[in-house]
Amino acid sequence: MSFLTLVDISKTFGATVAVADFNLDIEKGEFVSFLGPSGCGKTTTLRMIAGFELPTTGNITLDGADITFQPSNQRNVGMVFQAYALFPNMTVAQNIGFGLQVRKTPPAEVRRRVDEMLTLIHLEEFASRYPYQMSGGQQQRVALARALAIQPRVLLLDEPLSALDAKIRVELRLEIRRIQQTLGITTVYVTHDQEEALSLSDRVVVMSRGRMEQVGTPYEIYNYPTTEFVASFVGQLNLLPIANLDRDARSCTLAGQPIRFEHSGDRPISDTPRLAIRPEEFWLGDGQERNLLRGRVETLIFLGAIIRVRVDIGDGVLISADLFNARSLNLPRVGDEVLVSFPVHACWLI
Amino acid sequence: MNTPTPRAKRHAQTLWSWFWILAGVLYFVVPLIATFDFSLRAKKDVLTFLAYERIFTDAAFWRTFSFSLQMAFFAIVVSILLVVPTAYWIRLKLPRLRPMVEFVSMLPFVVPAIVLVFGLIRVFSGPPFRLTNTFAGTNVLLVAGYVVLALPYTYRAVDTGLGAIDVRTLTEAAQSLGAGWGTIMFKIIFPNLRVAILSGAFLTLATVIGEYTLATFIVGNKAFGPYMSLIGQNRTYESSSLAIISFLLTWAFMGLIQIFNRGRAEGHLAGAR
Repeated sequence: MSFLTLVDISKTFGATVAVADFNLDIEKGEFVSFLGPSGCGKTTTLRMIAGFELPTTGNITLDGADITFQPSNQRNVGMVFQAYALFPNMTVAQNIGFGLQVRKTPPAEVRRRVDEMLTLIHLEEFASRYPYQMSGGQQQRVALARALAIQPRVLLLDEPLSALDAKIRVELRLEIRRIQQTLGITTVYVTHDQEEALSLSDRVVVMSRGRMEQVGTPYEIYNYPTTEFVASFVGQLNLLPIANLDRDARSCTLAGQPIRFEHSGDRPISDTPRLAIRPEEFWLGDGQERNLLRGRVETLIFLGAIIRVRVDIGDGVLISADLFNARSLNLPRVGDEVLVSFPVHACWLI
Repeated sequence: MNTPTPRAKRHAQTLWSWFWILAGVLYFVVPLIATFDFSLRAKKDVLTFLAYERIFTDAAFWRTFSFSLQMAFFAIVVSILLVVPTAYWIRLKLPRLRPMVEFVSMLPFVVPAIVLVFGLIRVFSGPPFRLTNTFAGTNVLLVAGYVVLALPYTYRAVDTGLGAIDVRTLTEAAQSLGAGWGTIMFKIIFPNLRVAILSGAFLTLATVIGEYTLATFIVGNKAFGPYMSLIGQNRTYESSSLAIISFLLTWAFMGLIQIFNRGRAEGHLAGAR
C-alpha cells in the first residue's frame, strides 16, 4: 500500500470547483511535484494534505491511517510556504526549535536537533539572528529546517522558491533535492515552474482547471505528453496545422510539404489534428530519416545558450527551431531561404 | 511690468512656508506658555512652583491619580484580551466582517459619553446585574465603560498591527508545527503585536487619565478627571499647574509610543536590505 493516498478528492468553494476527481498514490521517500498554471488547484490539493482545507469529497490516508478530518496540528506534516512564514519575534534557533518545544521535547534534545538542522542547511553561524536580518534565500532555508526539525512524515512545499531571484532559486533547488535525498523524506512540491518540477521530482503531476492532466516521470511528461495541455505547458512546442492526413501511411502535408510521423500519442486525436514538434528537434539542413521543410527566416531571437529561429514555411505557418549556441554555428540571416529538418520519430499528432 | 524670476518665486514660497510653520507653532505653543506662566504666579510678583508644590502635596491628587491609573490598567488588560483575539479571528476567518466591526469600533466617537454612562447606569442598577450598589461594582462598570471608550484606539492599533504581519500564513506555519490555538495566540500573535498593543495601551491610558463624564457619574470624585475639574473650579493657579502636568503626562505617553514605533521601523528597514 502507498504511503500517502488521495482518493476521489474534490474541493469546491461555492460554485467554483477548485479540485475534482483527484486520485494519487505516493510512495515513501518519493518526491512528487504538482505542476500547473495559477488557479489549477495544486495549492488547494497541497493544503488539503496539510489539513488547512477540508476536501468536499474523498479521503486522504497517510501511512495507512485516514487523516481526512484530522486537525492540521496533529498530522505531523511539515510545511514550507512561499512567503517563508518565519516567526518574526523569534531567532533562527527559536524558529527551528519551535515545533519541538510545542511537543515538549527536552531542552537538550531541542538544542541538539537545532544544531543538526543548522548544519544541514549550512547556516550554523546564523542561530541567533532574527528573520529580518537575513536574505530571502537564507530565510527559506531556515523555514525548510524548521519544517524538517519535527521529523515530519511528509514534507509539503508550496512554491517555496517563487519569491527568490533566479540564481538563488537554482541554488536552493539543488539544496532541497540534496536534503530530501539525504533524509529520504516523502515530499510533495507545488510549483508553476516546469524547470523546477522536472529537475527535482521523481514524478510530476500536471494539473489544469482542478484536474490531473498527466502523472509521470519528468522524462515521460516531457517526451510523451498525453494531452495538448501538457504538451504545450511543459516545454516549448510547435503545434502546426496539417492537411491530407493518411493515418495508415502515417503521412500528411504541412504548408503543402510532405511529412511522415511515427506515433500519435496514447489519447484519441482531435477532429482537427495538429502536428506537434519540440523546437529543439529541428536543425538547419537535411539528413536521413528526417522530414524536410523549406522556408524563409523571419526572426532570430538570442536566448543565451539557445538561439530561437522562427521560419515561415508558407501558408502563414511559422515554426520555432531552437539551435544550441556555439561559435561554430553558421547562423542564417533574417530573410534567408533555409532548409529545416526534424526526425520522423520526433513529431506526433494531437 | 516685470515678472518675478524663478529664483524670486522660490524665495517667496520658502518665506510663506516659514510663515505658516511659525503661525502653527504660535497657535499651539502660546496658550501653553501662557498657562505655564500663569501657573508660576501663585505668589504676587514672584515666579514660583508653589502651585505645583500644593498639587503634589495634596493627598487627593495622589489618591485620584492612582485610582485612575488602576482603572486604566484594568481597562487596558480587558481591552487587549477582548480586542486582540477578536481582531485576529476576524482577519483569519471572517474577513468580510471587517468593515462592520470597524464601524462598531468607531461608535464611541459617535455616541456621546453622557449617553453611554446613562445607558450603563440604567442597565446595571437593577437585576440581574446590580453593579451600582457597591464600590467594586461601580469600579467594574467604570472599567467596562473605559473599554468601550478606548475601543476605537485599541481596535485600530491592533488591526493595523495584524495587517503588518501575515496572520494566516504564520498561523498555518504554527499549526503545521503542532501548535494549538493557545500557543499560537500567546507565542506568535501577542509577541508580534507588542508594538501595536503598547500603542493601544498608551492611547487608552491617555484617554482614561483625563476622562470626566463616565468617572463623575459612576464613581464621583474618586477619579482623576473629576479631581481636575474640581481644582479648576476652586483653585486658580493649581488648575493651571494641573493642566500642564496633565499635558506633560499625555506627551510622555505619546513619546513612549514613538520610541516603540521607531524600534519597529528600524527592524523592518533592516529586513528590507
